[in-house]
Amino acid sequence: MDVREWALIAFTILSQMAVGSFIVLGIVYFFVNRKWGEAEADRFSDRALLAIGPVLILGTLASLFHLGNPLNAYRAISNIGESWLSREILTNVLFIGLGAVFAFMQWRKIGSPALRTAIAAVAAIVGVVLVYSMAQVYMLRTAPAWNTLATPITFFTTTFLLGALAVGAAYVVNYAMIKRSDPDCAAAQCDILRSALRWLALAAVLLVGVHLVVQPLYVAYLSNSGTAAASEAVDILMGEYSVLFALRLALVFVGAAILGAFIYRTASTPGREMVLGNLAILAFAVVLVAEVMGRFLFYAMQTNVGL
Amino acid sequence: MAQLAFYFNTARCTGCKACMVACQDKHDLPAETRWRRVAEYSGGEWTRNNDNTFTQNVFAYYMSVACNHCERPICQEVCPAAAITKRDDGIVLIDEDKCIGCRYCEWACPYSAPQFNEDTGTMTKCTMCVDYIDEGQDPACVTACPSRALEIGELEELRAKYGDLAEVAPLPEAALTEPALVIQPSAKVKPVESGAGMLANPKEV
Repeated sequence: MDVREWALIAFTILSQMAVGSFIVLGIVYFFVNRKWGEAEADRFSDRALLAIGPVLILGTLASLFHLGNPLNAYRAISNIGESWLSREILTNVLFIGLGAVFAFMQWRKIGSPALRTAIAAVAAIVGVVLVYSMAQVYMLRTAPAWNTLATPITFFTTTFLLGALAVGAAYVVNYAMIKRSDPDCAAAQCDILRSALRWLALAAVLLVGVHLVVQPLYVAYLSNSGTAAASEAVDILMGEYSVLFALRLALVFVGAAILGAFIYRTASTPGREMVLGNLAILAFAVVLVAEVMGRFLFYAMQTNVGL
Repeated sequence: MAQLAFYFNTARCTGCKACMVACQDKHDLPAETRWRRVAEYSGGEWTRNNDNTFTQNVFAYYMSVACNHCERPICQEVCPAAAITKRDDGIVLIDEDKCIGCRYCEWACPYSAPQFNEDTGTMTKCTMCVDYIDEGQDPACVTACPSRALEIGELEELRAKYGDLAEVAPLPEAALTEPALVIQPSAKVKPVESGAGMLANPKEV
């Protein structure tokens, strides 16, 4: 593992987190808007929306550190017809562009809500295509350890798990800022926060279930698939990195399932926002570390057939 | 023009690596860059007979591998910069001016043909000595082989002469990339993914 691999870990994790956050934010906005109205919904989520920008930019900048010849980086979209890597970069750029346009319009309230919603929907679809392309990049017919359904399932699970918890943490920070500057309007925001965090916690518990089911199935599948490259990948995961693998599964379970359950319970009773906020931020931090470890292991298992 | 191809005779190769060194010399490659490598595949065991004697089936053979200038080059497919092209005569070339150095072709190629140059930040690989080919000469590796185990020719002609085997252990299945390679197997040669032996010199290939 060197700088180049860490660049890929940062790029894939941050981009997936950004896509997940964008979509989760949209879904939460939809329900908050329906129940509490547009003004409260905007106040609840606009800052979180703007926070996605730096995450995306950081991830994309990180990807440049992966290149031996970054001055040629603009050429990376020259093979859209065949290369999933070209498609990944193109959709990444499109997602940044559409996301930026939407975020600016939403921030300054430019255009009708319907128009903004339409742009957000297109950006969300591009985001999904981006994560799908990311998975396809690794599904090389010469790399049996990567060329399994576990790659897209894991990428999408990471996308929405990190998205839900990052958005939850952003709501907590936003609520704290509102409460400090404008305590009068914090009551409705407090209800929204508790309601949103309850649903996000539930989503996190379900999503971590996908990880915890898919990972053992994946290892079992690789062990039985018979190619030397797949066996080599299993040996790396269960040998050299077995402790890290166990730690990664334990951490993602603690962060999303156990802390998720605590968040769910704490959010159900009013007046415990301090604890709730701390739990939400802790859950995000723990799961982020767990997902980085998971992605590290994904790259460590890089093996291909033949020589 | 017809697809050019390498022919390799496993029965003749002695593992001397003159091909590898000639290649490094011709292209002025650093020691860690080996466009042509010689894999040693070996295995076998002792079995006890009924009369308490032992019989062994130990084997070893060499496989000299460079870029196989595949008919379905996965490196070209995956290259995001469209820096990899295939000439009319089938030679697959990397345009280093277009390469972004993402090393994706290195992951994809099952022959480890594309190799990263730390100095330029770009990928490099066997060119089949394209300059020699254009002058009507054989590549450096072919001329260097003291046992005439390597040849170059048109794929169809080589197949007509020697058969169409293009995969033996430790190479990958030929169907993955359709390598322009014709292998003359020796009696000891094992099939792909047979698990009968192992790569004895992983750090050299």
